[in-house]
Amino acid sequence: MTLTCAAGTGLPAVRSALAAGRSGLRANDFPHCELDTWIGRVDGVEDTVLAGDLAEFDCRNNRLALLGLEQDDFIGQVEALKSRVAADRIACVIGTSTAGIGVTEAAYREMGEDEVFQARHRLPRVHTPHTSAAFTARVLGLDGPVLTISTACSSSAKVFASAARLIEAGLADAAVVGGVDSLCLSVLYGFHSLDLVSDQPCRPFDRARKGLSLGEAAGFAIVEKQGAGFGRLLGWGESSDAHHMASPHPEGAGAAAAMAEALTRARLSPADIGYINCHGTATSLNDEVEARAIASVFERPPAAASTKGWTGHTLGAAGIAESVFSLLALDDEFLPAGLNLDDPESDFILTESRHEKVDAVLSNSFGFGGSNCSLIFGRVSS
Amino acid sequence: MSLEFDVIGAGIATTGIPDWEAFLAVLGGQPLVEDRKAPPSALLSPRERRRAPRAAKLSFAAAEQACAMAGLEPSEPIAVFSSGMGDLDITDYMCRTLKDAPELLSPTRFHNSVHNAASGYWSIGAGATGDVTAISGWRDSAATGLLEALSRLGETEQPILLAVYDDLAQGPMRALWPTEHAFSGAIVVTRPGSPKAIARLSAKTIRAREDCADLPAVLAERIPDNPAARLLPLLAQVAGHGQTITVGAEQGPGLQISARPA
Repeated sequence: MTLTCAAGTGLPAVRSALAAGRSGLRANDFPHCELDTWIGRVDGVEDTVLAGDLAEFDCRNNRLALLGLEQDDFIGQVEALKSRVAADRIACVIGTSTAGIGVTEAAYREMGEDEVFQARHRLPRVHTPHTSAAFTARVLGLDGPVLTISTACSSSAKVFASAARLIEAGLADAAVVGGVDSLCLSVLYGFHSLDLVSDQPCRPFDRARKGLSLGEAAGFAIVEKQGAGFGRLLGWGESSDAHHMASPHPEGAGAAAAMAEALTRARLSPADIGYINCHGTATSLNDEVEARAIASVFERPPAAASTKGWTGHTLGAAGIAESVFSLLALDDEFLPAGLNLDDPESDFILTESRHEKVDAVLSNSFGFGGSNCSLIFGRVSS
Repeated sequence: MSLEFDVIGAGIATTGIPDWEAFLAVLGGQPLVEDRKAPPSALLSPRERRRAPRAAKLSFAAAEQACAMAGLEPSEPIAVFSSGMGDLDITDYMCRTLKDAPELLSPTRFHNSVHNAASGYWSIGAGATGDVTAISGWRDSAATGLLEALSRLGETEQPILLAVYDDLAQGPMRALWPTEHAFSGAIVVTRPGSPKAIARLSAKTIRAREDCADLPAVLAERIPDNPAARLLPLLAQVAGHGQTITVGAEQGPGLQISARPA
């Protein structure tokens, strides 16, 4: 697996930032955006070149995807996978919300009175939600089912469930899953219009939180039925709030249902979970409702934290980023606490990172449209 | 290997074919019907109808038919919404506003801009608390939607609703997505053996870029016009036209779908 986010490009950098409590957030310096906020911007995206036949995919999302794929020898790991599993039996399931919209924004900004896009923006494979799944499959030479999941901020958690189902159904023997979302004006001004963006670095689960910080990330993992990896996917739960497009159910009913379904599928009891990587966006409502939902599922909640203080809210990439954090917690026996946290919303919110070996970690991802996904990862038995 | 499944409901909405009955007539050689206004969605309240984005109205038109034919409340099935481009009307609004006056962006239009707006409104309107997901395969969204829907049959005994839809582009995007006719098609599938089955089918992956079905010309010409209409061969098969059809894919596998022997 691999992760590139504001906290670091590749796993060694991410691990080092986690250990040092070093946030990747910076004062907003995104071009064409005047908002007074903090962002989790990844360095080096602008310098990543999509050469040759990849040029038809050129957009910030796919540059970030390529930068991510090039870390941690991920391409080498996929090549090794292809030596065991035929490429036409490897699925590619990628979550995104922004996809190539940054180029669509630029195409509108730079078109003339004639309302015709400049030639460099006439890229049909970019102006679609599917761009980064198609791109990733092209870069890695995968020829199994190629699928985009775009359910806002739960997108790249749900990729694990879809990949597992494709494999169980015999439609693939292995999968590359991932998520890619990149900063763009749509999300910066969009979340601003909803009054959800903080003018400070985000403070998940702090009672003085003022909103989210937006970020970007690309992460990928290989899913196989048998393998000696960072951890095992033990369960997943997917549910809908059926309540409101942009606000969570006030009692967190959908979130609780997703967590409960994941536990059932994993055949685990709440007491088996050693750590929760929360959705924890640092909006007033999300963190309050999520804490309540956790308390409704777990009689004695385990240590829980949100890692968005390191990365910002990476939206369609949040699921994969936090799956990687969850797998690192299992593998490194290190449970990160949230950053910028003085006065926690609940007593089970971790305020100090700790070294502890746990056997199972739950990761929550909730999105607009009331789309909820909870994943449980377990330690690989040694 | 092959995946066996039953279809228990189907629906369609596109120019000249407002519902399943009109589809059967066109399959039987009748001309397209004059456009009559589709009935308003039963799922959305009048207030929600004003707020709901075009993608929701387009996809619901077929999805509600499919649930009704299956005798299901819309809240009952797991739902998979698949679209290559999502809501192109809102994409146009977002990009124009971000160009001219980003501070004036509408919060409602922003939260409706997510690709899962249609599925989100479905969940809210139907009261569906199970999984309702939104996927994309660009021009392959019919095949990827089918793969996602069929892969769920092993996981759940619940019926699965698949809606595949794509709209016309607005403004400058028309040059890149030249579709002239919006299209929305839907099926409800279950594990084999349903007493409600209207078609008993078997699917296997196939390497085929092109779709294959024997369709009247007025239907066949919709497929190159709108990639969501690549679901048409399967809809025709459900209506009894064709023993074996193919839903092709340009990247990754398509599906060859055959009627199961009785």
